[in-house]
Amino acid sequence: MSQLASSTATFNLNAPSRPMLARDADSMYWMSRYVERAEHIARILLVNSNVLTDVGDLTPHLQQRQWQSILTIFRLADLEPADSKGDVSVATQIVKYMTFDEKNPNSLLNCIARARENARSIRENISTEMWENLNTLYWSMSEDAPARFEDSPDTFYRAIMTGSMLFQGLTDQTLAHDQRWHFTQLAKYLERIDITSRVIETKFTILRSAEAMLEAPIRNIHWMAVLRSCCSIEAYRKAYSGDMDPLRVASFLILRRDFPRSIRYAVSKAHDAIAAIRRDVNPGAIDSAERVLGRLDAQLEYAEMSEILIEGLPAYLQKLQASIDVAAVEVQKAYFLH
Amino acid sequence: MFEQYQCDGLFDEMFVDGNTPRAHYASVANRLAAMGSEAFSRRVRMADMTFRNQGITFTVYSDTRGVEKIFPFDLIPRIIPADEWNLIERGLTQRITALNLFCQDIYHDQRILKEGIIPPELIYGAKMFRREMFHVNVPKNIYIHICGTDLIRGKDGKYYVLEDNGRTPSGVSYVLENRSVMKRVFPALFSAYRVRAIEDYPHNLMQTLKFVAPPHAQDNPTIAILTPGIYNSAYFEHSFLARQMGIELVEGRDLIVENSFVYMRTTAGLRRVDVIYRRLDDDFLDPLCFRPDSCLGVAGLMNAYRMGNVALVNAVGTGVADDKAIYPFVPDMIKFYMGQEAIIPNVPTYICAREADRKYTLDNLDKLVVKATNESGGYGMLMGHQSTKAEQDKFAEMIKADPRGFIAQPVVELSQHPSLIGDAFEGRRVDLRPYILYGEKPIVMPGGLTRVALRRGSLVVNSSQGGGSKDTWVLEEEDGEAAPSPLPAGTEMLVTT
Repeated sequence: MSQLASSTATFNLNAPSRPMLARDADSMYWMSRYVERAEHIARILLVNSNVLTDVGDLTPHLQQRQWQSILTIFRLADLEPADSKGDVSVATQIVKYMTFDEKNPNSLLNCIARARENARSIRENISTEMWENLNTLYWSMSEDAPARFEDSPDTFYRAIMTGSMLFQGLTDQTLAHDQRWHFTQLAKYLERIDITSRVIETKFTILRSAEAMLEAPIRNIHWMAVLRSCCSIEAYRKAYSGDMDPLRVASFLILRRDFPRSIRYAVSKAHDAIAAIRRDVNPGAIDSAERVLGRLDAQLEYAEMSEILIEGLPAYLQKLQASIDVAAVEVQKAYFLH
Repeated sequence: MFEQYQCDGLFDEMFVDGNTPRAHYASVANRLAAMGSEAFSRRVRMADMTFRNQGITFTVYSDTRGVEKIFPFDLIPRIIPADEWNLIERGLTQRITALNLFCQDIYHDQRILKEGIIPPELIYGAKMFRREMFHVNVPKNIYIHICGTDLIRGKDGKYYVLEDNGRTPSGVSYVLENRSVMKRVFPALFSAYRVRAIEDYPHNLMQTLKFVAPPHAQDNPTIAILTPGIYNSAYFEHSFLARQMGIELVEGRDLIVENSFVYMRTTAGLRRVDVIYRRLDDDFLDPLCFRPDSCLGVAGLMNAYRMGNVALVNAVGTGVADDKAIYPFVPDMIKFYMGQEAIIPNVPTYICAREADRKYTLDNLDKLVVKATNESGGYGMLMGHQSTKAEQDKFAEMIKADPRGFIAQPVVELSQHPSLIGDAFEGRRVDLRPYILYGEKPIVMPGGLTRVALRRGSLVVNSSQGGGSKDTWVLEEEDGEAAPSPLPAGTEMLVTT
């Protein structure tokens, strides 16, 4: 009995977590960002195809803008117009480009390949469940993937989204919530903030310019599509009913406190993650990324939609993206480049 | 499925003749015969899928596309009875002990040269002899901590040592993964035998690494595996072992030497590293000491090593012991250092650096296997009996230009083992690479990598040359002569499909 007591006393269950290689932290971060990005790409492509089926009678010009806005969201240059012949082919062209094109750094194929490549280089830092999930997702993008895509783009994109979310769930449930996990969270939420804000900004600009021409039902469909692109339609409907008011949609996506897809929620989680990492690594001081995210967090905490509108929504979102970029660069400097 | 099976006058691991299985294979033979090739193929696909989804792959350099490949897995297990294994285990323990004594001697007093056992010019002509290691004391005098020794069986059924891999032998991860897939795919067959467990290998490896930690690390050394990176053909293994042992996997760029100590760059700054299991050749370890163009290594590492501030596993300079021109002297080493006869014999070898051997080799190029002394992985080889005149002439020129660079051996007709080819079983040549650890004491892992030359008639089993592998079952000592319990036909179906 006494032997048992003395031997258990030597276990220090609160020992600080083991330091993490800077390169591993870097890969952990990018693995997580690419998985999150893949999910958004799949969802946005899926939603865009569906919405354009729903509102078949859009002007060709507006249709084209809708498709090109996807490139804008992912910071890609417009495709060479020489390649496009008519409206249908712009759609097909962009869908192909965003799904399977090896030359597009932000195609689904490349995002998943890079996520997996990063995971492979830190295989010993992640769980077997996470690895096998991501590796299987990667292999599902090769072989007969184009054929399965032709059969049903819908099923194809949904499988990617499910795979990505499964990965997030496995990350939560199979990895110790130490520094490694915090890096995945930081990356995931930074990516989510970036894409969500760009979706709102881009769509808001397009729809504003076309609003005069759109009748209420069609307008509703478009704003529902924005919510769908951000995986938020059901949560929004639970909060509000009736027409899709553009400003209400925007304020839901930006300021909602308790919804994981809102910018405010994501900023607050990213702030938590960076603070946890910093406490682990350097308990004494606040680092630059934490400062940027902390300020943003506080600002969103007390923000009012009316104030945002005075500044102008696009301008506000651009400023927010700039802060996120600064935070990402500071994370890199502080933790990856030792 | 075995109706057409031929032993072709070779030693067959499974059959005494075309249709009589050896006693220890009886259960496997019955089971496979009852199963049929379709059910068997289904299991092959199941196993392949498992390997791919788990990312158990290796990288082939010559391929431009799809550089990641599955190491072909051959589902019929190779079974080694306890008495045979006993001999192998004693033989390998003896051999790694002698090789370590040799390394210690060759980098210190060189008694074996002074007493004329090995000609000094063979040592000094060895590309992997490291003058930098002369009079360097390595922790606990261990040089080869991890050895993978290739064994083959001739027509006579006797085991021979084909070569020792005392630098950075790879393949052990496949041994462990093959076993785990096998248990999953053939659970009933597996439990019909009393197979010795190999799963404690990572634990034993960890103990081996800890054993050589510098004193300053006390009880809690930081141990890391040094990999060339994810594009290395054995990257899966590096990552696998790091994971199994719960240690860091580092690349050269993660490490830095300061004040002759080695540190790794972490998110929280530098952390000291005490033991490095390096999976990088000597040449690339330290650009200040060896190849100056190496980006894979760490500047100043050798200095830290010589000061005793970090342990390297295996030690630098062990390549001198697995040089193919030194290999013929291993039985002499065993006698010289240990006063024993070699338990497992070598394959007879002609050393081209010697005039008589060279002449014999050049006269018999069409009958011999010629190997470059510093190559591995099945590269730089001439299989005399399967070669063209032009290839023989090319090797003749190469041998004359650099006699030290070549050895020759008679063609050994490796033993064969059934493999599924198409929908029937055919004999394919196999070898066996067991893994030996040398820490506090030598530990031979009961099993090893059985490699298969999947091309018909081929004698080259290397994975880079189209080889596959099998799970290798070493059986427990039986009380009396009891055969493995018979397996009712159909059992396997119930378990897995």
